[in-house]
Amino acid sequence: MHRKVILLVEDNQNDVDLTLRALKKNNVVNEVVVARDGVEALDYLLGSDGTSSNDGRSLPQVVLLDLKLPKIDGLEVIRRMRAHEKTRLVPVVILTSSREEQDMISGYLLGANSYVRKPVDFPEFVDAVRQLGIYWLLLNELPKTIRGEL
Amino acid sequence: MRRKESEEAVRRLNTDLLRHSNALQAVNMELEAFSYSVSHDLRAPLRAIGGFSQILLEDHVAKLDEDGKGCLGRISRAANDMGILIDDMLALSRVTRKELAREAVDLSAIVAKKADDLHKLHPEREVEFVIADGMRVNGDSSLMSIALENLLHNAWKYTSRHRTAKIEVGTEVIDGQTVFFVRDDGAGFDMKYAEKLFKPFQRLHAADEFEGSGVGLATVQRVISRHGGRVWATGAVEKGATFYFTCEQPQEVFVHA
Repeated sequence: MHRKVILLVEDNQNDVDLTLRALKKNNVVNEVVVARDGVEALDYLLGSDGTSSNDGRSLPQVVLLDLKLPKIDGLEVIRRMRAHEKTRLVPVVILTSSREEQDMISGYLLGANSYVRKPVDFPEFVDAVRQLGIYWLLLNELPKTIRGEL
Repeated sequence: MRRKESEEAVRRLNTDLLRHSNALQAVNMELEAFSYSVSHDLRAPLRAIGGFSQILLEDHVAKLDEDGKGCLGRISRAANDMGILIDDMLALSRVTRKELAREAVDLSAIVAKKADDLHKLHPEREVEFVIADGMRVNGDSSLMSIALENLLHNAWKYTSRHRTAKIEVGTEVIDGQTVFFVRDDGAGFDMKYAEKLFKPFQRLHAADEFEGSGVGLATVQRVISRHGGRVWATGAVEKGATFYFTCEQPQEVFVHA
């Protein structure tokens, strides 16, 4: 069985720690790869030259994507993922602080699968992460083509 | 000669107008960027404050006495309150930024829907709504909906200390003009402070008496003033409050049978 990796794209170390803790608290034991900006995320997914020649890394089961990121922002990450054969179907959950209407519209238009606002309240945040874990790692089914290795 | 002068004057006025319009647009864009940044960046530190306080409570509780735990609880609650405050501020600024799209809006229908929502949300409350039929304005339906929601929530909240309550929404004619009102028989307020009601973050009640951030009525005022209307309130302590507003009404259409 292949590993189901979660790609967490988040530049704020506090949010990274809190998300990892929330996952652990909810018994999600999957490997979590953390990318600290859009460039790192795309490097992981597509390789640094954009040719997706990456050595045996698992394509993530789900990408948890912050929008406001250094270098390349979240919306651009989705755009490039959707433009690439390898990653165009990988589920992307926008996990962000804002509830800006414009972000939601742009995110969905570019092909995000979900938009979740990080609650400020920590117990609510833990619960949101729990529900995301159950849904994207257990309930949601992916076609074979994107279950393989990168 | 005279014609040339007036052409010149018109040209100057147009240039001025364009310059002002550009300046206004720049300010609007700046406001937009500011709100965007507030909405993204201000919440993250709050989540950290609340989150790590919670972690202290969960993992290091043995090292804390009751007083220490109490302090952490307060820190978490304060962070949550600030989160709500930020949301309300953004809602207020969205009301200012949104472009006005006027159409005939059925206020009676909106009020009935919101009243129904409130009953469903708090089935234990005994509140009677009396809603006049056929209230219509020529306005932006989503903004009018926000204003009415705030007025109704307000009435709902300030009647919550009474066992039963009555909330009335209707129209009156004052000085020949049709005026809409939302009236409750709740806690009311002292008319001495009436002008503070609509200022953002001003509250007439302590937070532990009635919760709130003091943005609701400021939002109402902004919506109504953007429609060119007026809003005011009358009331007395423990005798309820009435909120009035004016708004342009649709042209009457006479349908002949």
